Amino acid sequence: MNPEVTHYGRDQIQQLLDDALPEPLATDLTDHLSECPDCRAQLESLAQDSAWWTKAKPDVRVVLEDPAAYSSSCLVLLRSPSVDDEDESFASDFAVDFLSASDDPTMLGRLGEYDILEIIGRGGMGVVFKGFQKELHRCVAVKVLAPHLAQSAAARRRFEREAQATAAVVHPHVMAIHSVAANVKLPYLVMPFIPCESLQQRLDRLGPLDIKDVLRIGMQAALGLAAAHSQGLVHRDVKPANILLETNVDRVMLTDFGLARAVDDATLTRTGIIAGTPQYMSPEQANGDGVDHRSDLFSVGSVLYAMCTGRPPYRADTTFGVLRRIRESTPRRICEINPEIPEWLERVIWKLLEKSPGDRIQSAVDIATILEQCLAHVQQPLTTQLPDVIRSWPTAAAPDLPATAPAATYASWRKILLVAAVVSLLIVIAVTLNQNPSSNQPGSDAESATVPAPRTSRPLLWDAVQPEIDQASAEIQRMRDASQLELDAVQNTPD
Amino acid sequence: MFDDAPQTRPSLLLRLRNDRDERAWSEFLTIYEPLLLRVMRRRGMQECDARDSTQQVLLRIYGAINRYQPDGAEASFRRWLFRVARNVAISFLSRQARQSMSLHDDMDWSELEGDGSLESDPFDQEYRQQVLAWALQHVQREFHLNTWLAFVETSVHGRDIADVARELNMSTGSVYVARSRVITRLRTKVEQFEADR
Repeated sequence: MNPEVTHYGRDQIQQLLDDALPEPLATDLTDHLSECPDCRAQLESLAQDSAWWTKAKPDVRVVLEDPAAYSSSCLVLLRSPSVDDEDESFASDFAVDFLSASDDPTMLGRLGEYDILEIIGRGGMGVVFKGFQKELHRCVAVKVLAPHLAQSAAARRRFEREAQATAAVVHPHVMAIHSVAANVKLPYLVMPFIPCESLQQRLDRLGPLDIKDVLRIGMQAALGLAAAHSQGLVHRDVKPANILLETNVDRVMLTDFGLARAVDDATLTRTGIIAGTPQYMSPEQANGDGVDHRSDLFSVGSVLYAMCTGRPPYRADTTFGVLRRIRESTPRRICEINPEIPEWLERVIWKLLEKSPGDRIQSAVDIATILEQCLAHVQQPLTTQLPDVIRSWPTAAAPDLPATAPAATYASWRKILLVAAVVSLLIVIAVTLNQNPSSNQPGSDAESATVPAPRTSRPLLWDAVQPEIDQASAEIQRMRDASQLELDAVQNTPD
Repeated sequence: MFDDAPQTRPSLLLRLRNDRDERAWSEFLTIYEPLLLRVMRRRGMQECDARDSTQQVLLRIYGAINRYQPDGAEASFRRWLFRVARNVAISFLSRQARQSMSLHDDMDWSELEGDGSLESDPFDQEYRQQVLAWALQHVQREFHLNTWLAFVETSVHGRDIADVARELNMSTGSVYVARSRVITRLRTKVEQFEADR
């Protein structure tokens, strides 16, 4: 206190505001302000343009009433800090808040009929705990909807859907569901506890995988996906984190049908960019277009790419950047990153990473069949051939659209001209052969030999040319699609 | 100045047009993503639909940013953004109406069908609030909890200074200083945001 000073100077008050007034002056002045209305007025006039604050105040009040409504949440930035280090404290908070006490002190707590041992995973939707079911004396994995999401009706519905969708698909390569508790404070679903790691964890640990593993994991994941597709379900979130690799057993399981949705169901979110990483989304998802099962097939392509190279094909610092890459760009050639990957596997992957769904391999079953044959070839190269169809696929991904579209068109036309040339040549040869049918007849009876000659030569010729013609018409179709895409892009632009 | 902030100055626009400027897009999203979400929710959309629609608006903006020409009038970019948002919302809601064969009575269509002129710029307030929210979030971290609470309780909620001082175990003088400091910082932060646009 410094009662002799009746008023402080403007400069000193300004310094106090700037936190630049030395002690003990600062304390004295602060105390003085408690008593002196004049100096307070001085302070406030210095501090705040009252007109500014008067205008800002109602808005500040609205913001502070519901700060969550003003924070970015939907398109999460990939730069967001890692949550791993929070796991421990989260688990204990969670245990305190939502689990009832367990008889067993080594347990975190109890949820329904399950003793909860430890946290084993965390996802966008919730937390996965290792649990123990005493009655059946078995370990289980309990997936609990995150508390902040449990308040949202939409999230609860989605969680319930996951249970329904997964339960509908019974398949060795799809993670099964034991039971569901939907109408409780925190909904949860119970799955078998299977010692495993996710493909994502393995990639983080070991980097690119051996080609046999790439083919085996890809094949099994495709089989699981085929089972879901046959139920009319689109998974929509196929990524390494959702592909589980059972420890010590060569079994792969597809999991997390949280975004899965029946093709004809319009009640839930259409595009599903809600949480997590978008690196494995398809272009149609990134576009916000409707998706069908072929969207999942693109994601399988991205997963195969990640297994070959150790990283996803489309990368950027932000979610938005990734979505743009997926829509527009061509990933780096796999052979540049991992020279051990053969060209034919790269062809399979590019065929899946086609921007237009119609250009991809058309079903998960087809993928599984192709990968299975490839695996057989790798294991028995002398006795098993690669699938013939791979040879007709391009060795590099389709170039970026629309920037390099003219180049693509030019290349395609060149190919068509080439095919035309080959066809004419073969026709000439065929005609020559037909004109001189007995020239290479081994038998002596020329009369009877003339009859089969045209019959056999024509199908032979046709067989030789057919793939080329098919490919040419596919190219033409693709160019049509590409120009249609461009047209659509022009028509769909905002006003 | 905040009062007459020229919303979205050309510099951010230019940066948004540069494909490699991820930072510009994340800055853009910080402000406009929550803003669009709120606008969509206010139209009566369910949470997931609001998110979907917001995403569509952002993707459309991204797709068309290179063709966008400011019309020279105030808040040109925001009015454009609003038109896109309105189109997305209308097409979503009409699709939904077709599917359920019933219109939602509680839906406010009037604003959606507005002409998007400056007078009816419904983003103006949302935008101001969003910038303030951004500034509040940053400024809060700079102060001790008591300083912050002194500001919130007295300046925002208008509570009696002596009461708040007692609750926070501060002198009334400290409460005055605290809230003045916060407001000064807040204003500086908002102005800095505007200057960076």
